Amino acid sequence: MTVTILILQFFLVLAAAPATVGIVRKIKARFQNRRGARITLPYWSLLSLLRKEMTITRHSSWVFRIVPFVVFGSALALAALIPSFAVGILAASMSNIFLVGAVAALGSAFLVFGGMDTGSTFGNMGSSREMTIASLIEPAVYVSLASLATLSGSWSLDGIALFFAASKWVEIILPASLTLVALVFVLLAENARYPVDNPATHLELTMVHEAMVLEYSGPYLAMLEYASWIKLTAMLMLVMNLVAPWGILTSPFALGATLIALVAFAIKLGVGAFVIAFIESTIVKMRFYRMQEYMSLALIVALGGLAISLVSIAV
Amino acid sequence: MVASFFVASLILPLVAGVAALLLLRTKAGHMLTQLVFALGGLSGVVGATLFYASDGASTVVFHTALFSLVVGTLSVFFLGIISVGVLLTSLYALEGLRRYKSVYSLPWLAVASAFFIFGMQATVMASSVAGFLVAWELMSVAAYFLVIADGTEESLHAGFSFFIMAHIGFASLVAGFLLLSAGNPFAEWPEVALAAKTMTPATLSVAFSLLFIGFGSKAGLAPLHQWLPMAHPQAPSHASALLSGVMLKVALFGFIQSLFLFPSVPLSWGVVVLVVGLVSAFFGVLHAVVESDMKRVLAWSSIENMGLIFSGVGAAMILRTLPYEAGPVLASSIAIFVALHIINHFLFKSGLFMAAGVIVSEVHSRDMDIMGGLAQKWPIFSGVFLALALAAAALPPFGTFFGEWMYLQSLALALVGLPLPLSVVAGLVLAAVALVSGLAIVAFVKMFSSVFLGRARNEHAEHVGMMPMSLMWPPMVCAILSIVAGVLAFPFFSSHFMDGASIMQDVVIVQGASMNAWILWALIAGLAIIALLLARFLRVPVRITDTWDCGQPLTSRMEYTATGFSAPFRFFFRAFLVSRKEMIVTPISSENPWIANRRLEWSITSTWERLFYRPVGQALLRFAEYARKFQSGVVQMYLLFVVIALVGAFIFAL
Repeated sequence: MTVTILILQFFLVLAAAPATVGIVRKIKARFQNRRGARITLPYWSLLSLLRKEMTITRHSSWVFRIVPFVVFGSALALAALIPSFAVGILAASMSNIFLVGAVAALGSAFLVFGGMDTGSTFGNMGSSREMTIASLIEPAVYVSLASLATLSGSWSLDGIALFFAASKWVEIILPASLTLVALVFVLLAENARYPVDNPATHLELTMVHEAMVLEYSGPYLAMLEYASWIKLTAMLMLVMNLVAPWGILTSPFALGATLIALVAFAIKLGVGAFVIAFIESTIVKMRFYRMQEYMSLALIVALGGLAISLVSIAV
Repeated sequence: MVASFFVASLILPLVAGVAALLLLRTKAGHMLTQLVFALGGLSGVVGATLFYASDGASTVVFHTALFSLVVGTLSVFFLGIISVGVLLTSLYALEGLRRYKSVYSLPWLAVASAFFIFGMQATVMASSVAGFLVAWELMSVAAYFLVIADGTEESLHAGFSFFIMAHIGFASLVAGFLLLSAGNPFAEWPEVALAAKTMTPATLSVAFSLLFIGFGSKAGLAPLHQWLPMAHPQAPSHASALLSGVMLKVALFGFIQSLFLFPSVPLSWGVVVLVVGLVSAFFGVLHAVVESDMKRVLAWSSIENMGLIFSGVGAAMILRTLPYEAGPVLASSIAIFVALHIINHFLFKSGLFMAAGVIVSEVHSRDMDIMGGLAQKWPIFSGVFLALALAAAALPPFGTFFGEWMYLQSLALALVGLPLPLSVVAGLVLAAVALVSGLAIVAFVKMFSSVFLGRARNEHAEHVGMMPMSLMWPPMVCAILSIVAGVLAFPFFSSHFMDGASIMQDVVIVQGASMNAWILWALIAGLAIIALLLARFLRVPVRITDTWDCGQPLTSRMEYTATGFSAPFRFFFRAFLVSRKEMIVTPISSENPWIANRRLEWSITSTWERLFYRPVGQALLRFAEYARKFQSGVVQMYLLFVVIALVGAFIFAL
């Protein structure tokens, strides 16, 4: 049964990922008084990319060709490991916080290789920036995850989500609040959103993620784009499941509960996408050379969250 | 039986040295020498395997009245690493050194290597203070000759600072050991420990500080690390692999061994080791990120990794002294990290130095800014290098990742297991280790991308020859062993492998955090299969084109160099990296100031040089000024000094 639920969760995240991006884009368009494209547009973009001819630059090597697979594989692993729909379905060791962090880092490293293996300044610049962001956010990632683990007494994301679902919301949200803020910082930085990166432009001054994948086309581009959407969806659902741990599927897995969990999943995804769109519509992108302020702030907030967690388990 | 293998591994390098001198500069002589070295390494590997396969009791290898050589559980672990290192590097040197036969005097290089290898092994096996110090000094002096082997100005300068630092370290080791053994240089280790029992805490603290300075300077800990990135890259690449991958571990061995001489280890010592380790790790990795000399990046990364290892040792020391239940358990899981990281760092660093040696010999430069595009020329070799670089970046599925995971997990468990003020410290250490591991990813992603990816940036990099198999397989073995370490090392260590050596004692799987490498491997294999299926599914036409260039043809000059790649880090960490940038404008035309020759000069100086080395140097010079006043040149004055000294000595003696 747990395997069925695991597969269900895996494919649910895969199926919802384009919609997440579609919803964010739609809401952003509404904020800008535009009608915006249909929410289903990302699905069609993926399908059309899959059918298109690929152009591969002659200045690239075999590394360029394996990058989409590793990045996509890392995103698939995140979709399977992160508790987005149900908890208690995986062995604790598999969603260990440090393991999840390392799998994400592996994906980032290969994305950087992809940008570097083109011989183009665009890709190189995106790579350099992506590497800066991905490495400097690392302390905040591990500290905030460790403080959640401290609170819940479990070292897996699965156990953490289970603890949040099982506790009284009022009792758990106060000690976790600062850590959750830090996690939002991490979420925005890891997924190349405002204020770290602008996902909507192709201007050389603003972009990070889009610059790295500039040289990719056709199915490879589809894999890279899809991977970034999956990562965003999985991480967004993780934060949502901690902030609002209602309706998440726990064992015993009954049919009614599964249906409720599906509805809860959709609602949380919608709310999360709204929050991201809201953040992106109300703040401006930071200049890249001010990024260390963002990273330091994220780390300080995470350390503050850790201090609160430590005090709250000691009391 | 076991002892004879160790004796062989000790004697064979010396035999090789003699053979090299007798056979002079012939090809056969070189081959024979390196094969004898390899044979020595092999017998050491066999000896270590037999040692662990049998009961693993301490064995006397060699015994005379004056000194003897003994192996125990801890020292065989390090001997095994030395032997594997010698085996791989000498097989690599078969072909690798022959390319440089006009640069180096191969017979004398072999003699230096022989004494170096002998010195390292004897250091680890020595059973008395005097034996240890003699072997240590032999190792240092031989290493000096390896560093200056090519005889260039830069090497001599690097060798000089290495020599000075090695002897500052040696002096403090002598002082520390003599203090601890109550002045008896021929004391065996148990006698030293016995003598130390009767000493006051103040004496012990002084002895500990001296020993930490001595071993720390050899292991490249800040602030005594400046020599390392200068000296290690200057040696021939196979020797750099031994210096960085193996010799630093010998320093670590010396430190761990001397910890057991002390009757107890106070909390403050552990704190000092932890802090110094973390500071070294941070500065090491930061310089590795911004450096663009290939072998120097590897040397800085050695400082980082030794810093991490020492911080682990410090954390284990602290946790052992704490009166809490969680302390010893966490200390032993951190000890597993230390052991794993010793192996893993040895593997990837030796492999990377050897691989870097091949690249440097083909591209004729160590500057990563002019390389690039090598992945198209050497697909297999670039795969090997990628594996080693990912191992160095501590990413899964390589052994390094599992080691660092162990460390991070133990620190995270300390958050829960320790009471409040201490758990906050554990949180800060966790953040620092996470920052270091994040920056390590940058350093090695940068290295791989700027050397192998994109387009070649100079002639040599564009027209490299075929990669000879004989140079490719030693790094490849390191890469494979690194993966094997990821799969096997953890289960191996958790089944009480290291029993007997006190710091690695009572190994347990960390409570509440099962860390099974096999599950990850199943996951990765599963995803690989999915990806392959997708690849079959995605059969679309492919067109090979130029890189998109906005209509303006791209050249390799437009690519990001290694220096460009790390620009954000130079900016963000400018407080730590004192970088100086200057535009030098020389006018060409007197009428038009815009027509000028512009040149950008920039350099990174070390914070430590500004804050530590220069003040110390200036203080020393000032002191010398005062001392000169006594040197009047009048003979009577000197006679007076002699009389005063004699009277003083008599008074002191009476």
